[in-house]
Amino acid sequence: MTAPPKLHSFAFAYACAFAALYVIALFRDAALFTVYPSLGIVLWGSRHSRDVADPALGFLAPEMLWYGWAATAAIGAVPVGLVVALLPDRWTRRLWPVASWAVPVCAMIGCVYFELPWFRR
Amino acid sequence: MVTALLILHGLVAVALLGAITHQTVAAWAPAGAGPKSFFGRFRAVPSPAFANAVVVLYAVSALLGGIVYLDFRIDVRPILERDGHWQAIGLFDLKEHFIAIGLGLLPAYWLSWRRPLAVSGWTRAAMTAVLAFIVWFGFLMGHVMNNILGFGS
Repeated sequence: MTAPPKLHSFAFAYACAFAALYVIALFRDAALFTVYPSLGIVLWGSRHSRDVADPALGFLAPEMLWYGWAATAAIGAVPVGLVVALLPDRWTRRLWPVASWAVPVCAMIGCVYFELPWFRR
Repeated sequence: MVTALLILHGLVAVALLGAITHQTVAAWAPAGAGPKSFFGRFRAVPSPAFANAVVVLYAVSALLGGIVYLDFRIDVRPILERDGHWQAIGLFDLKEHFIAIGLGLLPAYWLSWRRPLAVSGWTRAAMTAVLAFIVWFGFLMGHVMNNILGFGS
């Protein structure tokens, strides 16, 4: 059985929105939550240990933002996918053949740019 | 426990690597190779049959990686920072980002391979290639990270 076109539109829009929102979350430091694995706690929003006291805390209580960035993208992409799924099929039909792979590739290039400081040390 | 999870993560990744590589080659390679040649048989796999396996293996591998990552952040990364393995840290961060983007791509990838195939072959092949790149990159960077410190160190 063929999947409904609306489901296709949602899935393709979700993939594009997820990739775009992930990079935005990365650059804007917009994690939905921050995980402190050594303390076993989770706090809402983007938190940095050194914000609270001093840089040494970054080693004592390292923060993890990856889960939060992924959550921001995963949740934020849902409304985008739903809105796009409601659009007429003829509006979006020509978009997906390129956008479905080009947006994730552009997002990956954005991630490379974001991580460049590690390679300049 | 973490070592066992890491080994399981690696094994799932190997299975995923095999499935996605078969599918990508089958989707991209020209049909010129003889049907009895190694390459001909390698690309002759029924590509849609791999989609379910790829989605499940990718999700399981990402989940296991997400669990192991907690220990990595506490026990391994500080040592990498102390020893100045900046490029390795950068490559591992890239792996995280690519894996996350791949997770978002999974539903569209899965739908594109559902029979009857409703998406153009080129779009399907391109999405599969992006996912294959992510899997290969993740696999290799995971190995680099594992090998820098060595097993049990």
